[in-house]
Amino acid sequence: MTTTLVKEEKRTAPPPRAARRRAPHRVEARGALILLSPYILLFLVAAAIPIGYAFWISLQKAPTLVNPQSGFGGLDSFVTVISDYRFVDTFINIFTVMIVWLPLMIIGIVGLALLVHASPGRFGGAMRFIYYVPGALAGIANFVLWVYLLNPSQSPIAFLWQGAGLDNLKEVVTTENLPSILTAMLFFQGVGTWIVIVNGGLNGISDEIFEAAALDGANAWHMAWRVKLPLIRPWIGYAALMNLAYGFQLFLEPYLLRQISAGSVDAEWAPTQLGYAFAFTNRNFPAAAAMSIILLVITLAIGIVIVFRSGLFGEKEERR
Amino acid sequence: MKTKRYITATSALVAGAALVLSGCSGGGGGEGGGGSTGGGEQTDSGGKITVWVDPPRVPAAEAFQEAHPEIEIDVVQIDGTVGGKTVKQAFANFDSAGSGWPDAIFFPSNDDIAWATNSTSNYAADLTDLLPEVIEGYDPAVLSFCDIDGRIRCLRNDAAPDVFWYNKAFFDENGYQLPTTWEEYGELAVQIAQEHPGKISGFLGDAYAVNRYLQGSGCPTNERVSESEARIDLSDPACVRATELLTQMYDAGALSTQGIFDGDAAGTGVNLVMSPGAVWWGNYLFRDTWKIPAGQMTAVAPLAWEGESEPTTGNEGGGLWGVSSHIKGKQLENALTFATFVATDPAWQVELSTGLPGYGPVQDAWLDNMAAEAYFADIPTTQEAFKAAASAVSPYSYMLYDTGSVWTETVSPALIGGSSVEEAITAFGEELVNQAKSVGYTVTE
Repeated sequence: MTTTLVKEEKRTAPPPRAARRRAPHRVEARGALILLSPYILLFLVAAAIPIGYAFWISLQKAPTLVNPQSGFGGLDSFVTVISDYRFVDTFINIFTVMIVWLPLMIIGIVGLALLVHASPGRFGGAMRFIYYVPGALAGIANFVLWVYLLNPSQSPIAFLWQGAGLDNLKEVVTTENLPSILTAMLFFQGVGTWIVIVNGGLNGISDEIFEAAALDGANAWHMAWRVKLPLIRPWIGYAALMNLAYGFQLFLEPYLLRQISAGSVDAEWAPTQLGYAFAFTNRNFPAAAAMSIILLVITLAIGIVIVFRSGLFGEKEERR
Repeated sequence: MKTKRYITATSALVAGAALVLSGCSGGGGGEGGGGSTGGGEQTDSGGKITVWVDPPRVPAAEAFQEAHPEIEIDVVQIDGTVGGKTVKQAFANFDSAGSGWPDAIFFPSNDDIAWATNSTSNYAADLTDLLPEVIEGYDPAVLSFCDIDGRIRCLRNDAAPDVFWYNKAFFDENGYQLPTTWEEYGELAVQIAQEHPGKISGFLGDAYAVNRYLQGSGCPTNERVSESEARIDLSDPACVRATELLTQMYDAGALSTQGIFDGDAAGTGVNLVMSPGAVWWGNYLFRDTWKIPAGQMTAVAPLAWEGESEPTTGNEGGGLWGVSSHIKGKQLENALTFATFVATDPAWQVELSTGLPGYGPVQDAWLDNMAAEAYFADIPTTQEAFKAAASAVSPYSYMLYDTGSVWTETVSPALIGGSSVEEAITAFGEELVNQAKSVGYTVTE
């Protein structure tokens, strides 16, 4: 009896917002506000105020070489940004990475998480750990690792590069190869962590569901495809959302890849790098702010679509 | 529904924050826009100075500390990547904030002098009247990069004119005749590439290749007409002859698409038999980085173009020291003492610096040191070439666009991708014009 109770609780736990659907009492509302206040404070400091400030700056007029006067400039900076000769290219670049990387990432995460979950016991645990290892090399450590992997004169996979006729780093790290290189870097860096997260979601599903499915004659394949997958949809949506946001903000990787390739990769390859150039090469802060606002709007829009489509906040579940 | 409410609340918050902020900064229109600081007030710390140096210049600051223990100094090591943006970023922020600048700096890229003297920043102090004796000691050709509209805004750390380097051992062994014109250099490069496959006569992949070949030909990539006007014309005959020369050599396999700074360039570097190159190539590249044995490499005077009586050459770097325009009194005095020391004092310039001093009076002592080390094959000729090369450098202005970066991201990728030299240089020219317009120049041809 007790075990069932515990599991009952577990099952209701994942969509946390479901409980708040009830009409809030006054006391409850006050409690909620108190609980929310640390977040609201952080949200103000780290998100709302900077966004508001960026928006304000983007409406200013940038001082130029010819006219060092500044003041209110309306939407001029947005025009400057959108009509910049690199604007469209940077988005094409980032979309090229996204198109290759995001589907691979999501299929990789879900597929491997389902496999790990389907192999319980020591083997599953060991595999989960192995998948996680490259993820532990986050950020700079992962990058340094890749600098070695990509270098035809040092890499353990140098035969691959030499086989393709690439003899030095400059021939491997080119603007054309950047989408594939970034896909590989981001995939290995992120997939382990996300397997653990999605696996956590799978562990949250009650065993009774699996038992019931088994009684109905479901094999491992049916179990994964028909039972587990629909139940972890919100987690998949969450993974897609976070990775998408990360992808759109790519900056460090192309920036550093440019340095190691001795400048043969474009300096303004990603939209964020273009924003950086607006601010610090052109000294046009309003244009840089406008670029940030444009990026924010795009990520927000895509984010909202994903949130509604995957039922990340439990909407779908309730409608059923 | 919850989600919608959440989003509405968020946007309300954002709007609210924007309103609050607009209220706060109303009236101070220039605040976020990086307003002009030209008329800003100068401050005096009472003596303490902060200096920014890139890693190779740290010994210069240390030598200063030893020589002037009475001056309180804070030495900050900065990112020394040529074409890097971290220093630019810091200064853009300082200029917006109206404080925070270092009192003296070694600019990591020579291009930095463009923004540092631009009216939006005006960081670099006018040294014309502050350090007249020091300026007097420079060959005006060496200091020309610091001469902005007739005022001297920086001091040169080292002179970096291109001389003509060659491997004397290789030339003697095979009986090759040393070229005296660019055209002869091109023909000999082709001949050597045919007779000794693998031997190369130049590098195309680094940011200085544009100086080596285009500036070396007098091609207007960086011509400052005025503060807001640039002349870029890759169809100029000077550019055309350089492009033809490079095409001839590249098609014969005599040029590498790598750059001299590439981490894996040493393997190619030891096969370099001749090339125009800066005076610092000798110690920095051949001796210290590529470890070519002593007694092989040596330099002669720069080459001339056929039909011209005088040699023409480029200039690769040769760092610049700047002093802040935002200080006065004792702080300014100490910053000037620092700048004078690092630019002229033998303790740094002769004993420690790897480059030929820009400051004339210490050049001979440095050249004597070079003779004592006996690394080059023909020392007297090399010494003479070093001293004479500065006057052969073609005019070149550092601009707000980073010519070297544009070169590295267009030319070598294009060549690696299979394009011809002509296509690569055309792409370079187009991107250069785009960049120049983007930073606000009016571009004339």
